[in-house]
Amino acid sequence: MTTSEQRHAIEELVYRSCLALDAKDWKGFLELCDPGFRYAITAFSPEIRKDMTWLDHDKDGFATLLGNLPKHNSDHSPITRHATVYTVDVDALGGEAKVISALQVFRTALDGGATELFAVGHLHDTVKLASGGPKLGARTVRLDTRLLGFGYHVPF
Amino acid sequence: MAKNAAEWAARPKFPASHYVDARIYSDPTIFEEEKEKLFKRCWIIACHESEIPNAYDYRLFSHPAGMPLIVVRGDDMKVRTFYNICPHRGNAILYDPAGNAKRMTCIFHQWSFDTRGACVDITRAEQGYQDRFGKQDAGLREVRTEVGFGGFVWVNVDDAGPTLKEFIGPALDMLEPYMQEPMEVFHFHKAVVNTNFKLWHDTNSEFYHDFLHYFNRITGMMQPGYFDRKYVGYPNGHASVGSMEIKYDAYEGSKQRAVGWPGLAPGGWILIDIFPGMTYNLRTSVLRMDTVVPLGPDTLIIEFRGLGLKSDTAEQRRQRVFDHNVIWGPFGRNLHEDLLGVHGQGIALRSGTDARWILQGRQENSTIHDEVGMRHYYAEWSQRMGRPAYDPFHEGKPARAVA
Repeated sequence: MTTSEQRHAIEELVYRSCLALDAKDWKGFLELCDPGFRYAITAFSPEIRKDMTWLDHDKDGFATLLGNLPKHNSDHSPITRHATVYTVDVDALGGEAKVISALQVFRTALDGGATELFAVGHLHDTVKLASGGPKLGARTVRLDTRLLGFGYHVPF
Repeated sequence: MAKNAAEWAARPKFPASHYVDARIYSDPTIFEEEKEKLFKRCWIIACHESEIPNAYDYRLFSHPAGMPLIVVRGDDMKVRTFYNICPHRGNAILYDPAGNAKRMTCIFHQWSFDTRGACVDITRAEQGYQDRFGKQDAGLREVRTEVGFGGFVWVNVDDAGPTLKEFIGPALDMLEPYMQEPMEVFHFHKAVVNTNFKLWHDTNSEFYHDFLHYFNRITGMMQPGYFDRKYVGYPNGHASVGSMEIKYDAYEGSKQRAVGWPGLAPGGWILIDIFPGMTYNLRTSVLRMDTVVPLGPDTLIIEFRGLGLKSDTAEQRRQRVFDHNVIWGPFGRNLHEDLLGVHGQGIALRSGTDARWILQGRQENSTIHDEVGMRHYYAEWSQRMGRPAYDPFHEGKPARAVA
């Protein structure tokens, strides 16, 4: 059974994670994550009729990926994540919650500021519940959108 | 020193083979001619055999010349290709991009076709057509199809012309030893970019742009052997770039590839461009295939495939997927940079920008930063189009004779 306080804390964790990534506050995002954090982006391809993994990193690998960004040439248009927490299922021992959120990602052009929908999908989060507050144990971004134009370097 | 208008418009002081007129990347007339003279005449990769492993499996493909195609494996396991156009009222017969269909039935009036292209049912045929028209008159348009060169399914909408083997010639000889084991597609995605298809192929035809990629600078350009890599041109506009050893562990967060590829030296890399818009790119543990499908002179779909070996263990496949994603996935370090590059070219070269010339003048004994790969492509392009790429509208003479 999820208490309303638990649910509120978990929802806030998801929303804070989006805000931190939107702000490119990598340190702030990683502080929301458990040491065993794992991040993945997956999608199903109806063309080849297979599940695909587009990104898969442990916490160190994810931190390195983010840290290397300034060395690369990237599109600098900011993206805005909009998440809505749909379901929160806490396990029997109360140590972990499976959280599913809807995700929309918008991209805003630097020149003129036009905003377009960039991608939709779901966040499948595993949240570690500890006395110090909930932490992200794992996040899989399950994308419905697979056509991303010239792409993006920053994970969703 | 900056240039005035006349200086900007003046032809480059290179041989005519060493630059092209920028309008070949935006002119709609040229684009329509390219569909007729290039895409309708050449063998094009539609998919990989692993995408249709079973009898009745099909895969749809939008041919770069415009035709919607169905690639289907028949009951005899032979792969055939047909127009995805019902001969009755012109409806698309199949809608989903892939599937399995023992009978391909048009949803509109339920005309049905088998995997050999024969019409097997016309609803209420006798009542409507009496003996004037029947199933024998309603076959699908078949397109020449061959499976080869790594298990790719090649199609040619021209019923005449060379065989696939003749078209490829020796261009893939360098890669053939590494394509003996059955392969399997594990990654597919498309990118739509507002640019001309040739600009993507140009990017795949020159490595001077490694300056764009931090990853390639640190793992390749700064390593021994990089400047020894050579371009080789082949008949029909194809070109290859030989191997070197990539130092993957020079990039923080990357490491030497653990899985590798049968027969290929660790860290090896072979790239082969196939005219007019396909690229084999074997880099250590993954074969990447790019196929261009232009939608117009300034809009392009690129289909990206990543392939491993069919015999992969789960762990080997996981590692290949990881290796692929680091640089080539939709969130990979290099792919986004390459796409940004051609996106920017699409902005600067669109009609009306007064872009004039694209330089391809680097000569370094055909080694990695030589632009001979692009020159080789445009020699073939010019010959097939009947328009010199340096003067596509026959307006003037080059500053110097063709080298």
